[in-house]
Amino acid sequence: MRLIFKNLNILRFILNTISTTSDIKEIVESTGASLPKLFDFSSFGMFWKTGLLLYLYQEESCPPSFTKSVVENMFKVPSILGEDPIDVNRVTLQLEKRKLKPNQMMDPRATLKSFFALPLAGEGEIIGCISLNSDQPNAFDAQDLQFFSVIGYQMTAALKNFERFSSIKDMAIYDTLTNVHNRRYFDERIGAETKKSFLSGTPLSLVMVDIDYFKNVNDTYGHTEGDKVLYKIASLLKNSVRKDDTVARYGGEEFVLILPGAKLEVTSMIAERIRRLVETTLFEVGQTQIHLTISLGISNLPSHRAKSEEELIKMADHALYNAKRGGRNRVCIFAGHSAE
Amino acid sequence: MWSPGCEVASTVREDKGGKWSSDLVLDLYSGLLMEIWEIVSALIGEAILALLFLSAIRKIGEKHPFLISLKVSEEGIVLDRLKEEGQNLSPLEIHRGFQSLINHLFQLFSALAEGVINKELYPKVFPKVKEADRIISQR
Repeated sequence: MRLIFKNLNILRFILNTISTTSDIKEIVESTGASLPKLFDFSSFGMFWKTGLLLYLYQEESCPPSFTKSVVENMFKVPSILGEDPIDVNRVTLQLEKRKLKPNQMMDPRATLKSFFALPLAGEGEIIGCISLNSDQPNAFDAQDLQFFSVIGYQMTAALKNFERFSSIKDMAIYDTLTNVHNRRYFDERIGAETKKSFLSGTPLSLVMVDIDYFKNVNDTYGHTEGDKVLYKIASLLKNSVRKDDTVARYGGEEFVLILPGAKLEVTSMIAERIRRLVETTLFEVGQTQIHLTISLGISNLPSHRAKSEEELIKMADHALYNAKRGGRNRVCIFAGHSAE
Repeated sequence: MWSPGCEVASTVREDKGGKWSSDLVLDLYSGLLMEIWEIVSALIGEAILALLFLSAIRKIGEKHPFLISLKVSEEGIVLDRLKEEGQNLSPLEIHRGFQSLINHLFQLFSALAEGVINKELYPKVFPKVKEADRIISQR
């Protein structure tokens, strides 16, 4: 009886940890750290289907063949229940190795002998699964299963909350039409990046992008086709910048790129590459294919000595105006207001 | 409806003609399913179990379509519609459908928790499945 009370207290602690943690990796780590007090196991795993993430928290001496069996076993769960098989190549594996069994090493030939692999099920859908694994036969009993399933239910609730929170967050910072960041996110990001640039002295570039004669697309082919063009151009922009750069829809057919750490020369090369890419891309509108071009304006810190983010934006906007005035389909670098 | 402790053999009565009617076979298996639900939900919870039942019904229902009338949710299993519609089926057909369903459920339990669930279920459920088998084969 005393043992059950002790185990219930550990279980309560684990459930509390899961419900008060908002980061998935942290949930797995803190749960994994407490599980050895409840179960004698070699590996604990959590697969989150939406994020295509598989976390394994396991004994550091687990041989790779054992890990492989655990992974395969977990991926089987959705298909056993009639869902489409998991595309294993798209799943990211995060392995946390810990000393779970003091003074004990696993046999390098150890195989998976006992396991639980439970679906994480909420509101009738499978959002992932959790598993508890051992290299010992009959390592778990009915009470272990009860406790482990309770942990699974708490994890389901935590993942659901995380997914809801993520989608709300996404809606707040992404443009629903083009899937790039929205103006609100850009305003926040440019403020933070400008401040960082002022403090550290690292370069910061801004590129304003405008689709040439976009009104003609809307007038000729309709707004639905125009929206497809916006989406396609946004995708081209996203695929043309670096991982830490920001692409945002500034408004209408105008986009903006924030390139932290990029000097003027590098920015100019990136902008020219994007211009050429758009120029050579065929855009499908209705039953036909058309060519489009874009104009781009660049401003940079410290080159242009802007004193605020507002000034940096104005400079890029001014350069864009010059690109338009100069005949469109070109990249212009801010050259002072006198050039106007 | 099933109540704890009731034995399959005592719930199944011969009808006046001395034959096992479809509704008696349905009663027999509804008792069994309820018992499986009681035992397994205590181990893995209602949400996961409902998912397993739904998956099993979907799979076995392809061959035994009358099973699709089983209504499963986290609250449990409801057989009312199946009992209404099942009266037109032969007892053997009902028996085979439920037997396949239970076998498939056992396979799912085994795939997810190795022998732990089945170890709890076997002593209570397996004799009744065998008994049902015996009763039907006596017809």
